Amino acid sequence: MSLTKVLNISLKGLSKYKMRTFLMMLGIIIGIATLTVIVSMGKGAQKKVMKGMQSFGPNAVLISAGGGKMFGPPDEKVTTLTLEDSDAIRDSVGGIRHLAPFTVTLEQTIVYGNRNATSSVLGVTPEWADAWQWYAEKGDFIGDEDISSMSKNCLLGQTLVRELFGDQEPIGETIRINNTNFKVIGVLNLRGTSPMGMDMDRRVMVPLTTAMKRLYNITHVGMIRLYLDDPTKLDEVSKSVASLLRERHHITPPQEDDFRVTNTMSMAHMSKGVAKTMGTFLGLLSLISLGVGGIVIANIMFISVNERKMEIGLRRAFGARAKDIMNQFLCEAVIVTLAGGIVGTILGAGISEALAIIRKMPAVISWEPFALAIVFSSIVGIIAGLQPARRAATMDPVKAIKG
Amino acid sequence: MIELRNITKTYRKNGNTEVKVLEGINLEIRKGEFVAIMAPSGMGKSTLMNIVGCLDRPTDGHYFLDGMEVDKMNDDELSRTRNKKIGFVFQSFNLLPKTTALENVQLPLIYSPEDVDIKARAKASLEAVGLGDRINHEPSELSGGQQQRVAIARALVNDPALILADEPTGNLDSVSSEEVMNIFSKLNRDGRTIVLVTHESDVAEKAGRIIRMKDGKIVSDERRAK
Ligand SMILES: Nc1ncnc2c1ncn2[C@@H]1O[C@H](COP(=O)(O)OP(=O)(O)OP(=O)(O)O)[C@@H](O)[C@H]1O
Ligand SMILES: [Mg+2]
Repeated sequence: MSLTKVLNISLKGLSKYKMRTFLMMLGIIIGIATLTVIVSMGKGAQKKVMKGMQSFGPNAVLISAGGGKMFGPPDEKVTTLTLEDSDAIRDSVGGIRHLAPFTVTLEQTIVYGNRNATSSVLGVTPEWADAWQWYAEKGDFIGDEDISSMSKNCLLGQTLVRELFGDQEPIGETIRINNTNFKVIGVLNLRGTSPMGMDMDRRVMVPLTTAMKRLYNITHVGMIRLYLDDPTKLDEVSKSVASLLRERHHITPPQEDDFRVTNTMSMAHMSKGVAKTMGTFLGLLSLISLGVGGIVIANIMFISVNERKMEIGLRRAFGARAKDIMNQFLCEAVIVTLAGGIVGTILGAGISEALAIIRKMPAVISWEPFALAIVFSSIVGIIAGLQPARRAATMDPVKAIKG
Repeated sequence: MIELRNITKTYRKNGNTEVKVLEGINLEIRKGEFVAIMAPSGMGKSTLMNIVGCLDRPTDGHYFLDGMEVDKMNDDELSRTRNKKIGFVFQSFNLLPKTTALENVQLPLIYSPEDVDIKARAKASLEAVGLGDRINHEPSELSGGQQQRVAIARALVNDPALILADEPTGNLDSVSSEEVMNIFSKLNRDGRTIVLVTHESDVAEKAGRIIRMKDGKIVSDERRAK
């Protein structure tokens, strides 16, 4: 019997029991949709990490105050990193082209006229621009003069410019930070989102000395950024920095560090770890739902075969061979799972897109989930359909025809 | 065309008690005959029909159909034989529910290895039983007599030499019975061999030969002049 004939028979059989067909599909739809979401989000996360690493800089090392394994700016109360540390690093660690200690103060209210916005305030040195490869798009960056005079000049990130000034020219205007007036001397280049999902363009940059003495009255810095001559030296430099700081801070392992040293490699490493755990968990989940879906299909198929005894006997009486019946029911199972798989990938792609919008995570829709869906759902269909189809095929036609 | 030699059929219930349904049936039916089989209920008429229809195997004995020994055939060969040579008509019509008359009639053609215009053949077959105007009706939209005529159209569609009808009028009123029997008579006149099981003597009257069974044996075989 030709495949088109078998397909035709199976499709007709399925279309007569629509609710049953739908129920059979449901488990597969859920399983495959989960699978699709995993793959799409996984690829999205990968893409994001790549982008994050680019924005972090391929030959950059970041030293933050405070221990632990978290990324992001340190707690302002952590006072373990100082300008002396920064000088020591510059003096005794080789391979560093640029070095920039800076302070980070989060959640500051910035006022311009009757508008205000929330932003972090960074105290930086002129070298910060080279260390981050991040410059003023308009106007000037913080200069040596600003540092020595503790000037009240500042640069704005572009998100802040948009929120405070709209279309108006910001340079030359005066804003207020912490009840102190600052003059806007420049606007920073657009940088986008950080690897941690923060808007990097929501920031005010002031001279480091101004931030430490005038604004916040502190003696420590939050972070030190290094820009290396040679990206292959990332780990070497990171290790030297760590041992130098341990020595200066009198830390002997197993005592925990009161700082952390991050570079592109360690970031990629961590994101991979997280992605892997999530992937394993969701992958298991989708396999379980595919398995449950398969069991549901097998059971409904058994019920169906039982209810359709008369049809089976009748087909046999009019010339269907045992294998024709076998193929018919097997084909029904595979059609159900394949259709479920296709619906599942479409649904999964939709969910991925929706999640991407809600969680501001990129999702990458690709052909892989589709191929996976075809393969997985066919396998589930064949396995689930095999026993019911065999029962249908081996039925005694005389008994079957009585229903 | 049909030759049964010493056919027996024994059912074994729960491994112990044996039920002997057929106990040595010897019967020859020639091409073009119209045979009625009569017997009280439970006497093995349907069992015999199923064996003749290659749907069931005898416990013992030999069965030749068109010179071929059916009891030596494997399952696939039996299926092919049923498809090519035999058309069944059942007491309870046995049409597929939620399926149009046309699609019901197509059933045997689907399993035919020959490449034919399935739709046209099914339509012609329905027209032959006078249901050309009902091809898109589902069984639930047809009267009992019409349903049985659809079933006859289905039995005919693959042009089988042998029609086996197990109490085809058992569920019909007298008018519908008459219609159905007229169709069988006409099919017989066209040269088709018909074997029919019935309880009703006025139905059996239409046949050219009446075989009576009792306790698994043939007790009378009466040919009637037309
Ligand atoms: N699969 C089976 N297992 C055991 N016994 C069976 C089986 N099929 C039929 N029988 C027995 O065989 C006997 C004959 O059954 P059959 O259906 O051939 O009778 P019948 O003459 O067609 O009766 P009716 O006129 O009621 O249709 C019955 O006694 C029945 O109980
Ligand atoms: Mg019977």
